Amino acid sequence: MFPLLSHRNHSNMATCIAIIGKDNTPLYLAISDMDKELDLQYRVHAALDVIEEKCSSSTKMNIESKELYLGLLYSTDNQKIYGYITNTKVKFIVVVDSGNVALKESEIRTMFRNLHILYTDAICNPLFSPGEPITSKKFDKCVRNILERQ
Amino acid sequence: MSEEILFDCLHSQIVNYCLNVNKTAPESFTSQTQPPEKEKDLSTLEYIGYTTGYRLIERLTREVPRFKDELETMKFVCTDFWTAIFKKQVDNLRTNHQGVYVLQDNAFRFLTRISPGTKQLEHAPKYVAFTCGLIRGSLANLGISSTVTAEVQSIPSCKFHVQVSRN
Amino acid sequence: MSRQNTRLDQKKVNTELLTLAYGSFVTQILHDQNLNIDEVNKNLERIGYNIGLRLIEDFLSRTAAPRCLEMRETADRIQQAFRIYLNIQPAITNWSSSSDEFSLIFENNPLIDFVELPPEFSNLRYSAIICGCIRGALEMVQQEVQCFLVQDQLKSDSCTEIRVKFIRRLEDAIPAGED
Repeated sequence: MFPLLSHRNHSNMATCIAIIGKDNTPLYLAISDMDKELDLQYRVHAALDVIEEKCSSSTKMNIESKELYLGLLYSTDNQKIYGYITNTKVKFIVVVDSGNVALKESEIRTMFRNLHILYTDAICNPLFSPGEPITSKKFDKCVRNILERQ
Repeated sequence: MSEEILFDCLHSQIVNYCLNVNKTAPESFTSQTQPPEKEKDLSTLEYIGYTTGYRLIERLTREVPRFKDELETMKFVCTDFWTAIFKKQVDNLRTNHQGVYVLQDNAFRFLTRISPGTKQLEHAPKYVAFTCGLIRGSLANLGISSTVTAEVQSIPSCKFHVQVSRN
Repeated sequence: MSRQNTRLDQKKVNTELLTLAYGSFVTQILHDQNLNIDEVNKNLERIGYNIGLRLIEDFLSRTAAPRCLEMRETADRIQQAFRIYLNIQPAITNWSSSSDEFSLIFENNPLIDFVELPPEFSNLRYSAIICGCIRGALEMVQQEVQCFLVQDQLKSDSCTEIRVKFIRRLEDAIPAGED
């Protein structure tokens, strides 16, 4: 794989936000740089495996962590991938640029919390069928705000 | 409580609606080969409860740590969830540890306004169907697929049987 | 779990239960009516009417309110009812010169909290239940009114506006009822 050049805008909070349903079908994906779409999809996919592992082995081992926030799932040279899982087994995955050193852990947590609230409100729309991809424009706009926040 | 009465009003309208919506069909349609109308009405009522519970539990578990297993999940639904909605705790919660849970409420909210008596017992199913769906929907979204039935032997007491489906 | 109480905020849960149950109910009616929006609107208004008939009893016993002699008093009572039952306070404005017609302006309305209408439902009057409720309640206190949505936040208006128009005082104490 050729190295990713860090010429992109560093001010973005994240480069990708993905929401994956309880049956592992993608419900929503927002990407800040469409050129990296494939690469990011690959990251999200790999992240799901890490989440799976974290959550299945947590039955006895990880008693310390019952948080919805799963923390850093893994990192590459250029990216850090964070995860979050709801009690209803919906997964949120956020890919952050490693070059973004100013980004604090607490900000990542806040980002996930806000995402969770947005997601919950979106599925509470009575005219939306849970499990379907989220197509709401309002939702998309709010998530993109999170994605592009500086 | 003011918000309680409003929901009670809505609930009884949902019940009335579901029991009357099919009544407009001509009499001749009600042949014996069709499923009994009453069952169909009750399943609509149950389904409205299901979709409500499915969404509601998404909101209510947002601040709650991850459940470690089925028992913990059941406890949440039967205690926290139940108490918040029905303003009282379940009077008795039992399990055989093999996927059967029985919740007993000795003064179930939607039965307390009905005069007790054996005559009213036949009407009991329509006052419990929404709640059966509410429980089933909540559990379904939390990853537990189940069948929920209610048993009313004397108003206003009610037993909800949750049978977890294993697959 | 030894805790006596719930970890959840009961008041919030009950508002959400109301909002979500109403949403499921509307969706069911849409389905039953084969998406015939006019029929759905009628249904929602009638359901509200039936709720109003019952809710007024509770309101009167709760507030011990005396009989309203003019429309301005009625408007205040309606506003009070929204505070009691939905914890919201609509503004009363746009009085007609003859003081028999006014608007209730809602900046927030818990019933529509999570609702987004797709374009094909643009005629759906999701909040018609509120109009019906006002009409039903007032009929029980011998006031016949017309009540309808003028602006709707679900249709990207900045607020929800409900118009209440006095028609006549009913002589008979017993309403016809539509149940």
